[in-house]
Amino acid sequence: MADRTGGGSRGALAGIRVVDFGQMVSAPYCAKLFADYGADVIKVELPGGDAARRAGPFPGDRPHSEKSGLFFFHNTSKRGITCDVGRPEGRALMIRLLQWADVLIENNLPRQMRAWGLDYPSLAATNPNLVVISITPFGQSGPYSGWNGYDLNAFHLSGASSRYCGRPGEMPLEHGTFSADYFGAVTGAAWGLAAVFGRDEIGGQHVDVSSAEAIAATFVGGMNIAAVVHERRVETRTGLGNALSAPATILPCRDGQVWMMVMEPGQWRGLRAAMGEPEWAQPEMFDDTRVRAENADLVYPPILEWCRDRDKLAIMDLCQAHGCPVSAVLDVGEAARQAHLLERGFFVDVEHAFLGRVRVIGAPFRMPASPARPPRPAPLLGEHDDAIWGDEVGASRDALARLRAQGIVGAAAEGTAS
Amino acid sequence: MNRALPLEGIRVVNFGWVWAGPAIGQTLGFLGAEVLKIESRARLDPMRRIPPFHGGRPDPDRSLAQHACWAGNGSVTLDLKQPEALDLVRRLIARSDVVVENFSPRVMESLGLGYPALRALREDIILFSMPAAGSSGPMRDLRTYGTTLTALTGLDSLTGYKGGAPMPVENAFSDPYTGIFAAFAIVAALRHRRRTGEGQHVEFSQQESVMQMVGPAYMDWLLNGAVAGPKGNEHPLAAAAPHGVFPCRGEDRWISIVCATEEEWRGLLAAFPDAASLRTNDFATIERRLVHIDALHEAVGRWTIRFEVAALAEHLQRHGVAAAPVSTAGDLASDPHLRARNTFVRVAHPLGFEETVYGAYVKTSRSRPRIEPGRALGHDNERVFREILGLSQAEYADLVERRIID
Repeated sequence: MADRTGGGSRGALAGIRVVDFGQMVSAPYCAKLFADYGADVIKVELPGGDAARRAGPFPGDRPHSEKSGLFFFHNTSKRGITCDVGRPEGRALMIRLLQWADVLIENNLPRQMRAWGLDYPSLAATNPNLVVISITPFGQSGPYSGWNGYDLNAFHLSGASSRYCGRPGEMPLEHGTFSADYFGAVTGAAWGLAAVFGRDEIGGQHVDVSSAEAIAATFVGGMNIAAVVHERRVETRTGLGNALSAPATILPCRDGQVWMMVMEPGQWRGLRAAMGEPEWAQPEMFDDTRVRAENADLVYPPILEWCRDRDKLAIMDLCQAHGCPVSAVLDVGEAARQAHLLERGFFVDVEHAFLGRVRVIGAPFRMPASPARPPRPAPLLGEHDDAIWGDEVGASRDALARLRAQGIVGAAAEGTAS
Repeated sequence: MNRALPLEGIRVVNFGWVWAGPAIGQTLGFLGAEVLKIESRARLDPMRRIPPFHGGRPDPDRSLAQHACWAGNGSVTLDLKQPEALDLVRRLIARSDVVVENFSPRVMESLGLGYPALRALREDIILFSMPAAGSSGPMRDLRTYGTTLTALTGLDSLTGYKGGAPMPVENAFSDPYTGIFAAFAIVAALRHRRRTGEGQHVEFSQQESVMQMVGPAYMDWLLNGAVAGPKGNEHPLAAAAPHGVFPCRGEDRWISIVCATEEEWRGLLAAFPDAASLRTNDFATIERRLVHIDALHEAVGRWTIRFEVAALAEHLQRHGVAAAPVSTAGDLASDPHLRARNTFVRVAHPLGFEETVYGAYVKTSRSRPRIEPGRALGHDNERVFREILGLSQAEYADLVERRIID
């Protein structure tokens, strides 16, 4: 099968054939990373479509299965086909496709993959060279592997929220996005691509990502497990950015907030200079991070007062000019319009049949010798059914017509899908 | 022993420091690469100062937290302020495949280690640079920590209690996130090199890679001009209800519960057969539950608080509801699921103590990653300078004596 997605031939991952059999965020985003850098990615949807098609955001908040921003963002540069793998003829088609593929990326619950007969042992029996990247909240083994779960469950199981976000005694918080799904996605991409890289010597294998475990290990565990195990000391969230220093948190200012992280003496002197060397900040003992933290009640009020009359970008620029790490807390619109990213050409326009011109967030990193491809629009539901099932997998015209009539291939009737 | 590791034979020189850069080395190490982190006593990596220390006494070789964050990096000590040290590092790079750095832009150039210089040492070298906001553009010299960096992506503006101001995330989520993400970029560059013989200089802006996480809210802004703000633990796109964290019996015990489908909602009702407060017309459909979500979450919380968290998670799962404990840091060592998956592993340190680090945080059916204890400063000096670079014992001793190797 040739790569028909266009523009991928120079990409670092050109020639890798990927089947994305995921929904919502984790597996689709992982597969999108493969597509961005040149792999030929085919997205397989059940006839009802990826749940992201029903999740929005939709223009004008009017649901439409081809207008979901969530679906669009995670599925650019892929081709799209449909298959009801829950029926024997559909499963047989999927198996044929997976014999062609190098990689399967999926995020279904393990019990669901078993029910479809698409669990790893079954797939390895028909294509031993296949790399299967499974990204789920809890993973394929362990007592919670049979559990139902979503991004929220995974993030909070990792310990990240209870340890690091929220006020003491109040509800722990996740970022207001699919943080665990994204973490699982990049983890699956790194380990999964490595498995592809080593496949000639090693053969295919199952790459089992639990997004909860990946965060628990590398983020929360890295910084906490030694204290917990070796000192029986458990730290918890404080509601402040970093209670071991001051100022080291998000502070309100005239038009929003700034994230002010002053740790080293030079940074403190920079802040002092930015504030115009106020009297209260002069004592030398304040050069000591720990002393400022212990005297947070003295340090914060005058800084808050200084911020109150200033805008976040002005505070950031002034502090940065004095070597002090302060960031404006940008809202999503401000982040999207910042001159820095515009000048770097981060955003890219894509034409879509239903959404019109969409200016998407660009590729995450730059590889001059093997550039990311210009994104192509996310596929319509079943857009490439004829091309892939017919021309490439080799289903005859008659067989494909029969599969369509049976509802095994093709979008489910409108109303189910949108 | 054949561990079937995909990056076996790949050598990485890692100038990365603090957390994000060394996290790359940790992941590449699990994948089989030989990772040599360049450090020095003259400019100690701040992570080596982080408590707790084995034995309780500060010692850069005994920071248990540093080991738990990036034990997989080998350690080579060189005082890069000295020309001879730079010469040694150049010779090592000439025998390596990948160079990783997360300095501010232009630091590598000022050391004489910019991409053209490295390419002269080895034509197909891969240089991986991970500056905070990229190496071009008006903010290229930005000073950030992982915590403050994310504020410039929109991510922090989405984090907080519903209707309130943004809440800080109290450690750098973006460091391990970009560290792992970077490993994907590096393997992609290795694949390109294998196919074409070409190396390259990969530029990885931490800001741009993290901003991908804001995609869902970005699309709402793009399509509708809507600017999202904090909304607690509600679904980012209002596509599930309940979707939140609820109190359980005991101090600071919470459970996460999601009902994205009608089946899951019916499961929740079945799990609380006596909860009349959940069986009102206001909660009868997903649309109504979203309209009345504050009341819904309050009503759910009045039931969850009667139960112990682990038992309640089991109970809800038996009814098909997506529910899981909200772990504290202390739970990480005892959680039965993480124990079953060997997430954390006790290893013997060469200095004669035992320590706990995270193991392979992804399970691979054929590859068997090496799980290493933390390395003392200069742990790999002898092998690198004597075996790889072929210095004589006398040359090596002289460089140590003069604190070039330090």
